Parts: sequence; C-alpha cells; structure tokens
Amino acid sequence: MFASLDTSGFLPPQASEFAVQSDMLFYYITAVCILGSAVVYGLLAYCCFMFARKEGVPSKRILGSTKLEFLWTSIPLVFFLSFFVWGVRLYDIAINPPPEAHEREYFVVGKQWMWKIQHPTGQREINELHLPIDTAVKISGTSEDVIHDFGVPAFRSKFDVVPGRITSAWYKPNKEGTYHLFCDQYCGQGHSQMVGKIHVLSQENYQAWLDGSYRIREGKNPVDGSPSWEGRKLFFKLQCVNCHNKESESRAPSLEAIYKTKRAIQGGTTIMATDDYLRNSIRNPMLHIRDGWKPIMPAYTRSQVTEEELLNVISYIKSLRPGDLPSRTESTPAPVGAKTQDTQAPAGGN
Amino acid sequence: MTTANSIGTDTPMAIPKLDYTPQMSPEPELTPTEQREKPNYLNWQYGLLSWVLTVDHKRIGLMYLVSVSIFFMFGAIAAGLVRTNLIMPTGAILELDQYNKAFTAHGTIMLFLFLIPVIPGVLGNFLVPMMVGAKDMAFPKLNLMSYYVWAAGALFFVWQLTVGGLDTGWTLYPPYSSKYSHTNVLYAGLGIFITGFSSILTAINIIATVHKMRCPGMTWGRLPLFVWAMYATSVIQILATPVLAVTVVMLAVEKIFGVGIYDPTIGGDPILFQHMFWFYSHPAVYIMILPGMGVINEVLTCFSRKNIFGYKAVAWSSVGIAVVGFLVWGHHMFLAGQGYFLGQVFALLTMLVAVPSAIKVFNWTATLYGGSITFQAPMIFAIGFIILFTIGGVTGLFLGSMGTDIHLHDTYFVIAHFHYTMVGGMMFAWQAGLHFWWPKMTGKMYSDFWSRLAAVVMLVGFALTFLPQFVAGYMGMPRRYPNYPPEFQIYNVLSTAAAYLQGIGFAMPAFYLIGSLFFGKPAGNNPFRATGLEWQTSSPPGPHNFESLPQVYFGPYEYSVPDGLKILNDGSTNGVHSNGSANTDKGAAHGS
Repeated sequence: MFASLDTSGFLPPQASEFAVQSDMLFYYITAVCILGSAVVYGLLAYCCFMFARKEGVPSKRILGSTKLEFLWTSIPLVFFLSFFVWGVRLYDIAINPPPEAHEREYFVVGKQWMWKIQHPTGQREINELHLPIDTAVKISGTSEDVIHDFGVPAFRSKFDVVPGRITSAWYKPNKEGTYHLFCDQYCGQGHSQMVGKIHVLSQENYQAWLDGSYRIREGKNPVDGSPSWEGRKLFFKLQCVNCHNKESESRAPSLEAIYKTKRAIQGGTTIMATDDYLRNSIRNPMLHIRDGWKPIMPAYTRSQVTEEELLNVISYIKSLRPGDLPSRTESTPAPVGAKTQDTQAPAGGN
Repeated sequence: MTTANSIGTDTPMAIPKLDYTPQMSPEPELTPTEQREKPNYLNWQYGLLSWVLTVDHKRIGLMYLVSVSIFFMFGAIAAGLVRTNLIMPTGAILELDQYNKAFTAHGTIMLFLFLIPVIPGVLGNFLVPMMVGAKDMAFPKLNLMSYYVWAAGALFFVWQLTVGGLDTGWTLYPPYSSKYSHTNVLYAGLGIFITGFSSILTAINIIATVHKMRCPGMTWGRLPLFVWAMYATSVIQILATPVLAVTVVMLAVEKIFGVGIYDPTIGGDPILFQHMFWFYSHPAVYIMILPGMGVINEVLTCFSRKNIFGYKAVAWSSVGIAVVGFLVWGHHMFLAGQGYFLGQVFALLTMLVAVPSAIKVFNWTATLYGGSITFQAPMIFAIGFIILFTIGGVTGLFLGSMGTDIHLHDTYFVIAHFHYTMVGGMMFAWQAGLHFWWPKMTGKMYSDFWSRLAAVVMLVGFALTFLPQFVAGYMGMPRRYPNYPPEFQIYNVLSTAAAYLQGIGFAMPAFYLIGSLFFGKPAGNNPFRATGLEWQTSSPPGPHNFESLPQVYFGPYEYSVPDGLKILNDGSTNGVHSNGSANTDKGAAHGS
C-alpha cells in the first residue's frame, strides 16, 4: 500500500516555500534547545563529577540565589517568547492564503477511510491530488463522518477535517515529485489506510493531466471529470471494449498508443492516426480498413453517439498508453473501502 | 529560610560514613530481633480483614502499590504488543482493529490507572501524613473509600477493555467515539468516571491533611517540597476532574438519549468535546508530573546532602504550573478548528507555563553544586529524571509554538515528547521515590547492585526507545498507524529493540524489591540519613507513625548540618527534625 518515496536522510522533502519557512523556525528552536540542554547537562555532569562524595569534605549550605533565579527565569522566558512570536508569524502564513489561491480552491471530503478530492475545474480524484507547480492553491475540506486530518508532511501542512465545518489550508508547491498524504487524526480501524499521494506536476503536465492525457503510472485511469474519463465510460457503454480489449487481438486491433502514429491500411498505404482518422474510424469505419483485419467494425451514427460524446471517446483513445487498454470484463470499481489505488488488485481496475 | 542563624557552614564536621544503620534514633538502639518484634504497621494486626478494612494510610498506600503495579503490567503488555507490531511496515502481529485496541488500552491504562494514581496513591498516602507529622490522613475512612472507588472503577474499566475493548484512543474524540466506534465506549467511560471520584476524594483528603494535621513547628515554609507538590496536585485534581466527569456524562447523554452535544448532524459541535476534554487532560499531565517533581526534590537533596536550591522558587513554580496549567488546554487544538486568536492566547500561555519547569530543572541542577553526592539507585533515577525531563521539556516548545506544531501535530514527535515527560519524567520519579522510601515502607534494604543496574538499563532503554521517534515524527510519520510507509521502518525497529531493553529494566525491580522482602538486610530507621520527619520513626513505622508528637524546628533540607539540633539542644541526639520532648523554645528562631 505504501510506496516508499524519495527521502534524503533525516529530513522530509521540502516541497513548498512554507516548508522552508517552517524548517527555519524548527532549526532555530532546535539550536536554542540543544544549547539550553547542553548547559543543563554540562552543569549536571560537572556537579556529579566534582561533588561526588569525598571523605571528610562536607557539603556546602547553599540556600539559593535570587540573582540566579532571575537569570534562569528571564533568559528562558525571552527565548520562549521568541518561539511564540515567530511561531505565530508562521501560523499566520499558514492560515492566510495569498489572494490568487482563492481562485484555485480544491475541495476535500474525508470519510472513513478515503479522501475524495475535486479540482476547481471539476476533475475528481480519490486518495490522490495532482497539483501544478508554483501555483498557490487553497484546499478546503469537510468530513462526512468523523474528524480526519489532511496532512502533507512535504508541505509542512496539516488541517483537521471536521464534520459540520469547512476548514482550509493552502499550498504553493515548488518541487515536482510525489509526496505522502496522511490522515493525521485518528479515525478508526482504517486510519492508517487513509493515505494517498500528492503529485506535483509541471504546468504542462498538469494541463495534460486535467485533460486526461497525462498519467503518472501505467494502467491508471484518466482522472474523473476529464474528457478522457467520460470517453472511457462511453467506451464501455458503447461496447467498444468487447473487441478492443487487452485480452485478445483476434477481432480488433489494439488502440494503445496509436495516436500520431502511422497505421497500415488496406490498399498498401499508410495513414497518420489523427483526430480526424479516429473520428472516421468510428463514424464511418469502412473508409479505412486496417491491414490484416476484417471489416467488422460497426458504424456509429449520430443517434448512437453524439459529436460531443465522440470527442470524449477520441480523447480517451488518444490517452491510451501501452498496457492501458481495459480488459473486457472490467468495470470501474466502486471506490469503497480503505484501499489506495496502489493496492487494488490488477483485476480490480484502474 | 535565609535568616542568619548559628548553624554556619563553618562548623567542620566529619561526615559519617554512609551505612545502613540508623543515624538518628529517638529511642534506644534495638537488636534486629527486638526490632522485628516491635509492633509496626505491618505486623500489629493480622488477617485479611485487617487489610481490606484498614484505615491506616500506610496499609492503603501498600494496597495502591500492589494495584497500580498490576495495572502497569497490563499497560506494559499492551505497549509491547504495539511496539512489536510496528516492527513491520504492514504490521507484524496484529490486525488493524486489534492494534487500535492495543494502543488505546496502553494509553488509557497507563494514564488513568497508573500515572494519575501512582504517586498520590502510593507515596502520597504513605508519606504525606508522616511528612507533616500526623498519625494518619485527616479522613482515614474516606481514604479507604477512595481506594475502593478507584479499584472498582479500575477493575470495571479493565474488564471492559478485555471484553470488547475500546478503540478510540485515550482522547475519546467524538463523533468517532459517540457514533462510529463499535467498542465499549460507554462502559469504559463509566469506568473513567468512577475512578475520577477517587482522585477527587484523595485530593480532598490530602488538602485537609496538609491544612489541619501539621505537627507543631511544621509551618508552610517548612513543608517538604513533596508535600507542596502533592498539595498543588490535589488542587488541580479537585478543579479539573469534575470537568472530565461532565464531559463523559455528556458523551453518554448524547449516545443514549440522542441529545445533540458533540454530534454536528444533530446540532452539536465536536470541538466542544475537545475543549472540555483538554480542560481536564492538560492539567492532568501536571497531575501526573507534579508529584514526580516533588519526589525529585526529596531525593536530590538527600543524596547530595544539600538544601534545595531556591526552596521558594521551587515551591512557587509548582503553584505556578498548577495555575497557568489550567489555561493552556487549547494548545492541543491549534489545528482542530479553534479560533486563530484563541490559539495565540493559548500559545503564549504555553510558553509561560514552560518557564516554571525550566526554573525547576535549573534549581535541581544547582542543588547538586557544592554537594557531597552519592549515587545509589534513587539518585541515579533522579539524575535520569533530569536528563530525560529536560528533553521532554524542550521538545514541548516545538509543539507549543503554533507554526511548528502544524507539521509536528499528531506525529510521532508528539508521542516521543510526552513519553519523555511522562515516562522519562514521571516514571523515573516514581522509581526514584519507590527506591528511596522502600526501606521505610518495608524495613528492608534491596540489592544495591541490581537496583543501580536497573536504573541504568531503564535510562538507556528508555532514551533509545523514544529518540528515533522524534526523527520519525519530524519525517512525518503519523501516530496511531499500525501500517506505515517503509521508509519509517528503520526508526520503528530501533525503537522496538530499545523498548525490549526498557521492558527488561522495568521488570527488574519486581524481582529485587520482592526479593528484598525475604532476603534483604534490615534497613534501619534512616538508611539514607534523610532529614524528613518520616525518617525519624522506625522502619517500618509503627501503627501510629510516631511514638510521640514530633516537633519541628527547621526547614526540611538541612543536610549540610547533620547534627544541627545537637548544637542547639546541647547534646541531644535528635536530628534536624526532633521528636518527642525536645526543648521547644530553642529552635523557635530557626525556620524557613
């Protein structure tokens, strides 16, 4: 379920500007605390060695010192207050998104034990969140059942997702990569399964991902809400999958990775698989017959599939990479239970 | 305390060689045989009824000792299951819900049935009346009732944990606990509710004892700091525990009658629970640690032969912790959806409450300066306490600062932090206290070698168990995860390995302490040559603690003048605290 992610030594990845700011304060407090502890341990060691009992040397009668008490009250107090002030400033940054982030608001709904996420552009995801790099985004969330917590260590960010309230955080990722998403508030049996991934993509890849044509991993579905996702649904509904599937190539050619490649057609010529070619192959399949295949592909008229739907199907076909074609019996699994997409059995989909 | 007096440090005096014979004997020396035959609280009555119906604070203290030790064992077994399961990223031995029940059992048993009652129940009961020079608690029967209320609640609670279990974590956050958990939330809550009454009753008893039962000369400024700490703890218990009871009752009302209190779908607010829960549970961590700090004062002074450095600073810092500790509960909720400005107030107060703890640490360290230190087991535990509590304290600053808490909240950093304060602090203080007063309680001395070894094993095992968890937490590993990403495995394996070592350490006292009951040398009245009133009577003490009413002339820690009163009393053999018919007017000028 958990893939190990890149980590370097004792530091979690810093994938946002806030992570750097947060670590600055962390290092400051660490330095002060190590120094303070060193003073205590030094004195302790000194006293234990110097004043170990010696025969005939009585202990001194020392009752205290107001000066010292003042010293070790005021010096820690000053440092503690500096932690407080800096901490509040940092918190202030964490809870106040920059104005542009409000325009890119992602919604998160936590439920036992999964994260349902919707992009401002409508795409939906489960237990995963794809984000564009260098863009401030706001994440607003609530819960369907118990209290959860949407935590991303790489962004040093975390907020409780509370039923009956909407809470939020914001990020501005600045490093491409894949990072952990944890539920940090104990929520029951599947608490530790309520985990996911944050993918930070370049702007181009993020756009491609929104369209459904960019996917991080093989065999993964296009994102819910994208044209490709709609096309995938039609691919099943229109029974395309009966012949175009991953099990057999006896009746129909594979559709994986054919976009913008040359296809051999009957008559000894080749043709570039453009959008137009794909459209013709569905509306009027007899126009170009692939070399070596029987002309059994039925024509889909406008009454069976509208032009808009056709665009979605084409978008889906364009997005297919090697290994992406679904199997004939496959259906989109209902997103129940605690499994992340990584762990679902191959037969289960994605 | 600082008034000039005739007891100067300029009186050179040979420090008597440390041995296990009584240093100050208010009565004629007795042979071991006579000592055995002399009636003490253990042997003056026999039979089961003489124990179960006893109103003797010392016997009740021993009953607490046996009970909390058993519950500690339960909690430790649960901890062992949790740590063993975490060896593998996919969970080594437990199913998910078994793990959840195991960590909940560990947390609830250790907090409600061990850490909260252990020092007030055992040492508080046994020692507070003796330290103030009283025959018993102010309300001996209430004291017995308090034990039975606690035992009944605790047994009921443990029963509920074993049949069906509880999987909410010790925090019991709704709506999970009120609507979604299928475990015994209601009955477990009832168990906690009942044990709460015991806390309140014990606290009332201790406060009344300190106010009304002090012997002549025992002014507030001469109270041992352990008594001050118990007093501060008792005040917190009386003020905070009812809030926990109310919180649990409201949870039950919502669950049984469907009244919307915490559940947002019927008009409640889950954050309300968190406010009320932490209003109790944050002061509760001071209920746990303050008595431990009190023990440390007694042990450090005794084994360094010193006055406590800054008696007033130490005493008032306890009071400061008790008062300000009530106003910091919201620092558990920076990310829970409480208001931003409310959070700021809590963060500021949190930084302020850290100061008295720092003051204490510095004062303890300074107490050692100029001492004549010996390193028996109680002292090693006390030094271990300072070492570990310092780490526990400074790591709390990361969590009290609002900005860094965002990242660290609910991670293993928090786990490591509070184990450093609660186990590294409280557990080590408890061991220090148990080893310090064991000879007084039982009249027997345990093995010097094994007890020192156990202290070192515990210290090393404990430190190594929780240090890797700071790193894992900073890396982002969330708490309460039976399964976790494989990159955290290294920290968990290190932690579990050290936990086994620590487990061996905690098991060792069970052997040599029980062994000492049968094979131990007679301890004598005052084996550590301590100054407290409890040491001025026989070991084990007689049924009524003192042969005659003690009279106090000095503050509690006049170690540097072992025969101070001798100077005053012209040859009296009495120590700093004098028993019986000592000349009362001579010491009047001396005191705190």
